[in-house]
Amino acid sequence: METGTLKKKSGGTAGRHLVDLLPFLALAVLFALFCAIVKGKGYRLDIYLKTIFNQGVVLAVVATGAIFIYTLGSFDISLGASTLFAATMGVLTYNATESLPLMLLAIFGTAIACSLFSSALASAFHIPAFVTTVAMLSVLSAVSAQIITTRGGSLGGIGIPKPVVKPLDNPPFKIALLAAFFLLCFFVFQLTKAGRRQKFIGGNLVCARLTGISYNKYAILAFTMAGIGVGLGAFLTLVYTPSVTATTASGIGMSIFVAIVFGGMPISGGARSRIHAALVGGFSYILLNNILELVLEGGSAYGLTQIVSAVFFLAVVYVTSMNYRTALLPR
Amino acid sequence: MSTAKKVTGTLAIPLLTALVLECICVMNGNHVITNLKSFNNFVVYTAIVMITTMALSINLNSGRFDFSLGSIAALSAVTGAKISYAMLHGASGSAPVMLLITVLAGALLGLVSGLIYVALRLPPIITSLGVTLIFEGVLYTFTGGKYVMAEVQNASMSGFVGTWVNAAILIVVILLAMILIFDHTTFGYNYNALKNGQKVAVNTGIREVPNAVLCYVICGALMGVVGFLNAARNTNINGGQLNFGSISIMFTAFLPMFIGTYISRFSSDKLGFLLAAVCMSLLNSTFAVFSNAITASVQSIINAVLLVVFLIYLNNEQLLVGTFMNRGQKVKA
Repeated sequence: METGTLKKKSGGTAGRHLVDLLPFLALAVLFALFCAIVKGKGYRLDIYLKTIFNQGVVLAVVATGAIFIYTLGSFDISLGASTLFAATMGVLTYNATESLPLMLLAIFGTAIACSLFSSALASAFHIPAFVTTVAMLSVLSAVSAQIITTRGGSLGGIGIPKPVVKPLDNPPFKIALLAAFFLLCFFVFQLTKAGRRQKFIGGNLVCARLTGISYNKYAILAFTMAGIGVGLGAFLTLVYTPSVTATTASGIGMSIFVAIVFGGMPISGGARSRIHAALVGGFSYILLNNILELVLEGGSAYGLTQIVSAVFFLAVVYVTSMNYRTALLPR
Repeated sequence: MSTAKKVTGTLAIPLLTALVLECICVMNGNHVITNLKSFNNFVVYTAIVMITTMALSINLNSGRFDFSLGSIAALSAVTGAKISYAMLHGASGSAPVMLLITVLAGALLGLVSGLIYVALRLPPIITSLGVTLIFEGVLYTFTGGKYVMAEVQNASMSGFVGTWVNAAILIVVILLAMILIFDHTTFGYNYNALKNGQKVAVNTGIREVPNAVLCYVICGALMGVVGFLNAARNTNINGGQLNFGSISIMFTAFLPMFIGTYISRFSSDKLGFLLAAVCMSLLNSTFAVFSNAITASVQSIINAVLLVVFLIYLNNEQLLVGTFMNRGQKVKA
């Protein structure tokens, strides 16, 4: 939530529109830069683009679902662990039944159940939602690790036969899935009363409650949408790599923060929340990391990549939030 | 509140924890603390948990979420290890020299983190995300992503954590320093005023920026001590913690922070953090006793369940007390 008084609102409407467009411009620039670097180095662009897409699509779907939670002014750091757990359950179900529909049912059922459990725990016992997600992070990671190490043996992972998901491992299918989920989220977020009320809650919870809006009802909706995103993410993870290890999707939970902010949405949620933020920001983040890895080749490239990426992240957030500086230090 | 109630309230949770865990161990033909080595581990772990909890609470209680604590601990420890090794090559006195350098490095990293926060004026959760990524990146570049081992594997380091005395001295010194700084100085008064009413405090003339920066410096220095103790205890430092791999350390401090805050109703919050750390260390020692049966995964689950259960109690205390009192009255009637 915004704290303190606004120091100034400079630039007017045109300036704000420009700031709103910055994430899209950044994505376009990063994409052009990436293509130029790959071509310049003489690598095959189609293969690199496919890799970028496969990395970005999982982050984009999980983060798009998570937007609903962030809009409420809350956040969930267990989404990566939920993705791992849902994928693990999917693998176990397929190996037990050899049925793809049942695997899908297990993945989505687990993902939505985990998400709703966090929400229900927070709502029923008045615990800050963030704390329940910390607990869920520990529990889901630990349970998944236990299952994977017990059943994976020396292989260090469990999986399903590659031919099962091979027909689905193609860009058109994944684009269709991403588009369908995005449109669903767009509809709920932009065109329904529920979406508007979620922004109201995120902007000012007290006012929202005083006007009769139930926080718990919209928190359940938000966590359900996040659960669907997690389920899709887990499914797409299995489609791309039909096996899971204890570290699968481990970075997603925190990368969502970066992706959402890169996409031009404040982590505090509220009226400035944007449903496209995760999609734009997720692909921007993946593109930036890959550009840096291409440019900074060498033994310590990963470290340097992360440093430059973090500096760029802070710079982007600083520029995009220039109109919203407060006199007091933000909290 | 009467003194007897204060003492009872302060000691109830640690004593109850000790009693329950000892009973569990005795039922299985063992004890929580079995020998001097396990006592040494108990005190060292208490120090680690207490200091991490204090570092976490300084900023979190002021509404500043800081993900960078783990990265500061790891990077300051690597800095201390490399410099002290270059100076002494692991000879006698390496541990105190490394401790000193690690604390200074931690304070410096905390200063950088604080300056970034006040300069950018972005929500602390966002700046701490960026700072964490930067520090992890520096750590990886510095170590090549490898474990730092030779620099921390020497007699001086193992001797430092091989006895409970050094850890106990650290606990006492840091506890007294924190009480002095936060409860008996102008900085501490200002900190408490800003914590409880930021806008009013600033309007009364309290300078928020230096206060916030100093908070980050103190957190950094504390995490330097944690980094040193972890390095000495584990005999290595993981230099390959990328993509927020370092943040898990802060999650271990949530439960003791909430327990400590509860205990602080009857005494001081700093004493509460110490006693909460004792509880966590007792639990850790019990896990060690049952290490054959309780895996690391199960330990994580138990810790998470305890966190949730304690918070359910904490957030529904009035409701629970009311329910039990009503039942009591009904029974009497």
